[in-house]
Amino acid sequence: MAAGLGLLIPSSETDPDIRNYIPRNLPSRVTNDSIEKEFGVQDMIIVLFTDTTILKPGDLGQVKEVDRALSRMEGIGMVNSLYTARKIEGSEGMMVVDPLIDRIPENAEEMESLKRDILANRFARDIVVASDMTAAAITGTITANVPEYETLNRVDSVIAAQHGDAQILTGGLPYIRQFITGDVNHDAMILIPIALLIMLTVLKLSLGDWRSVLIPFSVVILSTVITLGMIPLLGWKFSIIMCLAPIILISVANNYGIYLVSRHQELSRSDLPVTGKEMVRSVTGSLNMPILFSGLTTIAGLLGLLTHSIIPARQVGILSAAGVTLALAMSLLLIPALIYMQHTPGRKPRPPRSEKNDLIIRALAGISSLVIRRPGRVLLVSLVLTLLMGTGIVFLRIDTNQENFFPHKHPVRQASEIINSKFGGSQTISVMISGDIKDPILMQRIDDLTQHLKGSEGVGGVFSISDVVREMSMALYEPAEEGYDMIPASSAAIAQMFELYNMSGDPDDFKQLMNFENTKAHLLVRLSKPDNKIVRDLRDDIKSYTADFPARVTTGGYAIIMIDFAQKIINGQVSSLVFALITVLILLAVIFRSLKGGLIGSIPLAASIIIQFGVMGLTGVAIDAATALLSSIMIGVGVDFTIQFLWRYKTELTKAETRQEAISETYRTTGRSIVINGMSVMAGFSATFFSGFLSIRFFGYLTLLAIGSCLIYAIIVMPAFMLWFKPGFIEANLKRINKNNKENEKNVISIASDTGSVTAGYIGTAVRSRTADGQES
Amino acid sequence: MDKSRDLTMSGNIQSTVTLTITEKSGSVRSRKLNMITKSYDDGTIKRMVKFLDPADVRGTAMLIVDSKDAQDDMWIYLPALKKTRRIVSTEKGKSFMSSEFSNADMSSGSNTDFIIRHLPESGKTDTWIIENVPVSDEKADEYGFSKKVTYLEKGSLKTKKIDFYNFDGEMFKTIEILATQPLTGKEGYVMTDMLARNHLNGRSSRVKFDQVNTTASIPDNTFLADNLAR
Repeated sequence: MAAGLGLLIPSSETDPDIRNYIPRNLPSRVTNDSIEKEFGVQDMIIVLFTDTTILKPGDLGQVKEVDRALSRMEGIGMVNSLYTARKIEGSEGMMVVDPLIDRIPENAEEMESLKRDILANRFARDIVVASDMTAAAITGTITANVPEYETLNRVDSVIAAQHGDAQILTGGLPYIRQFITGDVNHDAMILIPIALLIMLTVLKLSLGDWRSVLIPFSVVILSTVITLGMIPLLGWKFSIIMCLAPIILISVANNYGIYLVSRHQELSRSDLPVTGKEMVRSVTGSLNMPILFSGLTTIAGLLGLLTHSIIPARQVGILSAAGVTLALAMSLLLIPALIYMQHTPGRKPRPPRSEKNDLIIRALAGISSLVIRRPGRVLLVSLVLTLLMGTGIVFLRIDTNQENFFPHKHPVRQASEIINSKFGGSQTISVMISGDIKDPILMQRIDDLTQHLKGSEGVGGVFSISDVVREMSMALYEPAEEGYDMIPASSAAIAQMFELYNMSGDPDDFKQLMNFENTKAHLLVRLSKPDNKIVRDLRDDIKSYTADFPARVTTGGYAIIMIDFAQKIINGQVSSLVFALITVLILLAVIFRSLKGGLIGSIPLAASIIIQFGVMGLTGVAIDAATALLSSIMIGVGVDFTIQFLWRYKTELTKAETRQEAISETYRTTGRSIVINGMSVMAGFSATFFSGFLSIRFFGYLTLLAIGSCLIYAIIVMPAFMLWFKPGFIEANLKRINKNNKENEKNVISIASDTGSVTAGYIGTAVRSRTADGQES
Repeated sequence: MDKSRDLTMSGNIQSTVTLTITEKSGSVRSRKLNMITKSYDDGTIKRMVKFLDPADVRGTAMLIVDSKDAQDDMWIYLPALKKTRRIVSTEKGKSFMSSEFSNADMSSGSNTDFIIRHLPESGKTDTWIIENVPVSDEKADEYGFSKKVTYLEKGSLKTKKIDFYNFDGEMFKTIEILATQPLTGKEGYVMTDMLARNHLNGRSSRVKFDQVNTTASIPDNTFLADNLAR
C-alpha cells in the first residue's frame, strides 16, 4: 500500500491561489465572480522601477522598453504606465488627447515640464509615477489565454535584459502566487526530510538503541508515505496549509509506538526471562486501551478540522486523521509483532540504559517531589500564569493578507511595501453599480462615493468612470465656466461625453470602468493598507453609503474575499474547537466512565487553548490560514498526555500504599513515555521553523507552545489536581488506598503546620520508589 | 499596392452609415451616422460625421481631417453641452468610434509607411497575397500591429480581406470586404460593407454604407468646424 501510493507522490501538484481555499459558493466569491465576468480579472502584475529620481533619461528609457515589451506580450491584457497614460487638455477651444510622454525629455527644462504634467494628471500621479518621483510602476492585467507561469517567465526575461540605474522589482498577486508555489514546493522538499531527521534524532536520544527507535519510526514512514500518496489520488493539490499534513503525521504517528517501546524497555529492565508472547502480552495488556483512546481522541481532534470552511483545512483534517488511524492500527498490530520478533531466540534485546542515567526519569523525579510536596501551590501558580497569559486574548487579531506570509526581506514583501506606500496598493475592492450609468443623478452619486472613498483610511486610490467624466468636463469647459470639473446635468451630455471619449481614447480604457451597454459601472478601490479591519470597515462603509443609491450596488474584490476568508477562519476555529472539545470530552467521559472525568480530563486542553490564544495576542501573531489549524491539532495531540497519565495513575492507585506513591510510580513509568512523546511531537513540528512562510514558522512556534503547555498541564498540573481534589472518578477502583486515608489526612494537616517534616516524608516516598531501579517497592 | 490604393481613393462620397459592434457575449451596440467624405489630391481625406441614432447622441458631429503625413485633426460637437472641441491625436492605430476598425482602416493609408512584398503563395490562385510591414518600430506602435497581409483580387485589384498580426506574430484581427460599389463615371470603388473581427477578444464590428452617392458635389466649406453645430 505504501509503495503503491508512494509512487503517486511525484505527480502531486501545487495550488498557490488562496482564493481556492474558499468554497465557490461563498457569497463574496460569487459576487466577485460576477464582477470579474463583467470587467475581467482584476489580478495585475506590477513592475516597479526605483531610483533616487526616476526622471532620468536612462530610467525613463528602461520604463519605455519594459512598457513596450509588456504591451506587445501575449498573456498581458491592459497595460498602464507612464507611456500609456493620456493627458486630456482643454485650451483655446481645443481638447487635446495625447500621450503623457511622447518622447524622453533631453534637458532639465523638459524634465521639469514632464514632472509638472505627471503631478497634474490624476491618472498618472501615484498610479504610474510616485509623487516624490523616486519610483515608476507599470501594471498589466493577466489574461487567461496563456498559462500564468509562462507570462511571468516572459516578464522576468524582459526585466533580466534591463541594465540601468533603476532597481526593478516585481509584485502583484500573480507574483505572490508564483512565490507561494515555489515556497510550497520548497517546503514540501525540505520540511519533510528535516522533520524525519529531527524525529529520528529525538527517538535515538530518548529511546537509546536503534531497534527501539526504528519500531515507531517505521510507523511514521509508512503512514506518512501513504498519506502523501493520498493527495494526488484524491485529486487534491499541495497548498501552504497542506504542507502541514505530513508534518503533523511525522510528529504524531510515532506517539503510540513510543508508549509500547518504552513499556517494552521498562519491562526489559526487570531482567525477568520472558518469552516473546509473554512480553507482547505484558506490553500491550496495560497499554492497548489507553493507546486506542489516545488515538481516537487524536483522530477526533483532527476531524474537528472538517467543520472548517477553508477547503485545505478540511483536507488536512481528513489526511491527518486517516494517517493517524493508519499509525494507530500499525502501532496496535505491527509494533507488537516487531516486539515479538525481537524476543525470538538469538535476538535478545540490548538492555536499555539504567534509570540512574536517564535524564528524563531524573527530571521527572524532581517534578514528582515538587508536585507531591506542594500540590496546592502548583495549582495556584499554574492558574495565575494561565490567566495572566490568557489576558492576551483581547489583543488577538486575524490576518488573511497573503503579503504577510513572507518575511520582511522577501522581494514580494519589499515590492508590496513600495506599492502600498507609493502606488495605492496592489489589493483591491471592486464596487459594481448596476443601473443607467448615463443617468446624471446616479453618476453624481458614483462621483460622491468615489470622492468619499478617496478620503477613507487605507484607500490608496480609486478608479472610477466619474473621474473620467470630470476630467473630460475639465477639457471641455474653461476653469471659470459652469460645468468645469463637474458631472453634467443631463443624460444626453453624459452619453455624448462617452461618445467623445470613444472617438478620442482607447475604448478598452473604459472596459474596466463601464460595461459595453453602459448599464454597469465599476469602481476599483486600491488599498494601501489591506488590513482586515480596514477592509471590513470599508465594506460596511460602502454598504451604508450606497444604501439609497438609485441602482444595485455589489461589493467584491480580492480584499473582500479575504474578509470572508477571515470570518470563515473564525467560524472554523470556533466550530472545530467546539466539535473537538465535545468529542474529546465524550471520549474522556467514556474512558473514565464519568462525565466529571471527561470535564477534568479536558482541563489541560482548555488551559492550553487559553495560553495559545493569549500568547498570540500578546506577541502580535495573528490567526491566519495556517495558525487557524492549531487548536484542532493541539486538541488532537495534547489530550494523549492526560489520558496516558490518568490511566496509569488510576492503575497505580490500585497497587500503591498512598496517592503520592501512585503519582511517583506513574511519573517513573508512563511519565517518561509522555515526556518522550511530547518532545518528539514538538521536535517534529520544529521542522516548520525552516519553512519559507512566516505564517508556517509562527505555526511551528505556537505548536511548540501549545503542545508544551498540554505536556506541562498533564505532568505537573493534573497530578497536583489529583492529589489536591482526589476526584472520585479516578479513585473509584481504589482498594488499598482507603486504609491509608487516615495517615494521608494526617500528613496533609501536617503540611500546613510543618511543611519541612512532611516534605521529607514525601521525598522519602519518591526516593524509595526510585531507588528500587525497576523493582516494585 | 499603389494601384489598389488609388482605386479606393474614391473622391467624394455621401452616405448613411450603420456601425454595429457585437461583443463576444452577443451584446450589440449600433450607431447610425450620416457621413460625407472628400478626398484631396495631396492624400488628405476630410470626413464630416453626424450621429442620427441613438437618440441621446443624436446631433453629435465630428469633423476628421486625415492628413497623409501630418497628425490627424478631429473636431467634435456635443449638442447637449453646445460645445465644439478640437481633438488632436497622433495615434492612427486608435479605434474608429470604439469599433474594431482603427482610424487607419477607415482611410486609404500611406504605402510609404510599409515595406511591401508578395508572399510566396501570392498569385498562385486568383489572389495576390501581399505583406505590409511597418518601416520602423515607431510606425508599428503608431499603427498598432507588426504586419498586415492584404488579399487582392488578381484582376480587379480589389481588396478582399486584410489580416493583422500583433507583436507576438499572432493574427489578431481580420477585415473582410463584404460588398463594394463602383464609382460612377470613373475607375474605382467604394467599400460599402466591411466586417472586422478581433480574434483575441471575440468582438466584431460591421460598417455598412447605405444610400451611397459618389457623384455629389461637395463644397470645401462643408468641412468647417462651424458647420458641426448645424
